[in-house]
Amino acid sequence: MSKVKTHKSIGARSTQLSIIFFLFIFLLSMQFGPYNQSQLANISTLLIAVLSITLLTGASGQISLGQGAIMAVGGYGSALLVTRLGLSMWLAFILAIFISALFGLFLGLAAARLSGPYLAGTTLVMALAIPSIAIRFESFFSGDIGLSVDYGYPPNWLTNLIGEISIEEWSLYVALPFAALALFAVLNLSNTRSGRTWRAVRDNEVAAALTGINIARTKVIVFICASALAGLAGAIYGFRGLVAPSVYSTDLSLTLLTAAVIGGLRSIGGAIFGTFVIVFLPDLIEKLTKNLAIPESIGSYLPALVIGLLLLLTVILNPRGSAGALEHIRHARHRRSH
Amino acid sequence: MNSFLSAFFTGTAQGAIYALVSLGLVLVWRGAGVVNFAQMGQAMFTTYIASQLIQHNYSYWSAFVIALISGAILGAIVDLGLMRPLTSRKNSQLLNSQSMRTTIPVIASLGILGVLKALAGILWAGEERGFPSPVAANAIKIGNTSLAITGFDLFVIGVVFVTLVLTTIFFTRTGMGLAMRASALNPEVTRLSGIRVGSVRTLGWAISGTASSLAGLLVTPKTNLSPNTLDLLLIVGFTAAVVGGLSSLAGSVLGGFVVGYVISFVNVYSAPENVFIAILVFLLLALFIRPQGILGNKEVRRV
Repeated sequence: MSKVKTHKSIGARSTQLSIIFFLFIFLLSMQFGPYNQSQLANISTLLIAVLSITLLTGASGQISLGQGAIMAVGGYGSALLVTRLGLSMWLAFILAIFISALFGLFLGLAAARLSGPYLAGTTLVMALAIPSIAIRFESFFSGDIGLSVDYGYPPNWLTNLIGEISIEEWSLYVALPFAALALFAVLNLSNTRSGRTWRAVRDNEVAAALTGINIARTKVIVFICASALAGLAGAIYGFRGLVAPSVYSTDLSLTLLTAAVIGGLRSIGGAIFGTFVIVFLPDLIEKLTKNLAIPESIGSYLPALVIGLLLLLTVILNPRGSAGALEHIRHARHRRSH
Repeated sequence: MNSFLSAFFTGTAQGAIYALVSLGLVLVWRGAGVVNFAQMGQAMFTTYIASQLIQHNYSYWSAFVIALISGAILGAIVDLGLMRPLTSRKNSQLLNSQSMRTTIPVIASLGILGVLKALAGILWAGEERGFPSPVAANAIKIGNTSLAITGFDLFVIGVVFVTLVLTTIFFTRTGMGLAMRASALNPEVTRLSGIRVGSVRTLGWAISGTASSLAGLLVTPKTNLSPNTLDLLLIVGFTAAVVGGLSSLAGSVLGGFVVGYVISFVNVYSAPENVFIAILVFLLLALFIRPQGILGNKEVRRV
């Protein structure tokens, strides 16, 4: 990277890329049936959470096995605002960002003192403990049953504009703009001063401290940003129908981490690719097992096996994920052409 | 029987199992600098092996021994096949950064956990099954008053006690045990004095695999066996290890019992729903008040 990017060009580029992403998913959804449209909505939602890991682990080197718990904070926050206070869904989503950012502040204050496996273990305990709060205070959070919330109906002006909208399409139209905005925010953050500061802390704390970076403050700020993203994702994820402890399980936390690693922890394009893999690969495997007449007992565990193996292979062969592999190929070609 | 004694006995029996899990975690952490999140996945897998053997009319004890041996083998495979190549590769760009060197092994161990769970589901179907205990789980009676402790609890405490004594003898009285302690303390100097640090490290993984597989055999008669049963045990064991001190073997055992009592008293005097929150609060308190653990060494961790 020889050219120094100015703020203006970074902003313009982030805008372009986010719009390209938006249009790509939108055009793709037009080719798809209802089921795959709702899968695209899932991708848009989960991408926001995977991006939070790209920020946290990829850019600043802090690991979290508890992003699902932060999603639960956003989900419960927004669901309670809608069911108890009667706020509109959109306002609840925006407030969920602030609620989970506040949660991220406290989490970050604790996490800034921890590193590596300590942080991993503590966030894993958190992933289990936070959803159990909903069961503990059953009268407020309605326990295992959870809170029923949904995206509602598309507004009249939109149906007047583009005609009849199915439930699946509407869920995509709710999630996709947020995903594009999150993409824009993360692209901007990681390419500007704050992103460089985070990478400095990630690669060498002592060196970063010597250049005048406040390590603890930087770590807390990353946690706030990542939690805000995860909380937003959790709110949109919950409004698919149900906000309950089982929706935000530990498995969800680990799946998100897997998506980020498979795609490439340090790459935003990788986050998009990884999210596609974890959402569509199980469908693909199911189709294959049906054709090959593999018994259902095996078929139901096959996606987990393939995704687990994919994670292991990524870590062993190329810890930088598929994005790293692409870059490697590009470099090799570049060298050959000279 | 009053509730205090009942909580105390349950806490002791549960704490004994947590001590094993935490001991397994600390063994690997000291030897390889990795917290093995796949540990209870390995234990789940070997417990399934034992369960299969028992279903095919092998005796409990032969299944027990085979499970322990396969625990050791599985531990060694994880080290040789994955962790050693991963941590020894210094030229990778990603592993050059400080934070990623500790993060990547964590992710790798989560990958193993996922694969083992899925494999167990495919091989032995996912539904929960019981696992036998060699001792009846009835409350012990003295005269007409029944104690809050069951025969099985006593069996668990006995087995763990014997294991801990053997482990202590191994680490203080045998050459191999001393070599393990030396290479945990200073791998460079140990290598220079002619000890194969790599093999010693693999042995640590194997012993850790055995300890956790023993924990799996001892806990499943109460919890039943499914690919996910032992997840909780890992989290409790991790808390125990941090409370006791990740760098101290004796601390890890102590931490196991402390956490055992905490959970058991929360269960009796509060409500079972509070257990997870209690674990989280306890873990955070431990990390803030004494981050190096009860018996841990201060220099090992920078805060």
